[in-house]
Amino acid sequence: AKYLAQIILVGAQVVGRAFMRALRQEFAASQAAANARGRSERPQSAAASRIIGISLQEAQQILNVSNLNPEEIQKNYDHLFKVNDKSVGGSFYLQSKVVRAKERLDEELRIQAKGDKEKGQKAET
Amino acid sequence: MHSPVIPYPSISPFPPPSRVAARLLRPRGGRALRGPSCRPVCPSGRPVVFAPPRAVMEGAAASAEGLRYAEYTRAATGAGKGQAELDRGLARTMIGLGLGVATVAFAGRYAFHLWKPLEQAITEAAKRISTSSLSSYYKGGFEQKMSRREASLILGVSPSAGKDKIRTAHRKIMILNHPDKGGSPCLATKINEAKDLLESSAKN
Repeated sequence: AKYLAQIILVGAQVVGRAFMRALRQEFAASQAAANARGRSERPQSAAASRIIGISLQEAQQILNVSNLNPEEIQKNYDHLFKVNDKSVGGSFYLQSKVVRAKERLDEELRIQAKGDKEKGQKAET
Repeated sequence: MHSPVIPYPSISPFPPPSRVAARLLRPRGGRALRGPSCRPVCPSGRPVVFAPPRAVMEGAAASAEGLRYAEYTRAATGAGKGQAELDRGLARTMIGLGLGVATVAFAGRYAFHLWKPLEQAITEAAKRISTSSLSSYYKGGFEQKMSRREASLILGVSPSAGKDKIRTAHRKIMILNHPDKGGSPCLATKINEAKDLLESSAKN
């Protein structure tokens, strides 16, 4: 019975140590990701990046758009979404990234539109 | 002839025949000198009569204690005289249970009155959640440093696949996402990176 207790204790220690290591790695990874994202972005953009989980720059790279042109975004998105569809043998993971990139760009467009509207209102008054 | 020294309250008409038996019947540990509600036993060892009014007043909070006490007396006294204490313990449990059921019923009735505005709030939140992030797509962007798991997901193969499988999967996905045909160069880079990572650590 004592040996059983010892075995359980050692097992728990091993599990605990592995868990702590995983936690630390996860934390470091999220820190690195946050640092990579949060450069030269307005506060609302930074918040959007954090919520959707992808930075503006990365979203632009994925969808291959250099400017925030809605038609170009939509065209690229439709093509990439269709090409990576599971029924054609594409990778669902890549399709998800395309979807998230589109979400991020949509959010950025929304933020920009709101900012422009506020600027317009301020200019009027 | 004086009654034998039995430190816990029991009015047994059949005293244990010997000291040894008395010690055996006495419960182990500190419990020997205290009743469950910390009612002191007279130091002379004479059995103390159970005090009913306090038992009734203790109500729901002591129902658990009552159960424990019922078990304890039953284990201690065996046959016979544990019955009275058992009944009291049972009564306390019943009172506790009844009070619990009453509170749950009241809470339910109250919640029923408040249901309609709550329901609206809940459905709105659910709709917002479901439309903001389509449920089954993977979240977030690419990882900072590509991992084997991500590489396997990109190519759509298992992480322990053979080199041939990796190569065929890579070619298929690359043809679909080719930059010259309107794919994005970033995605093409990621696909190549995934293939290199998996191939370098593949077995055969």
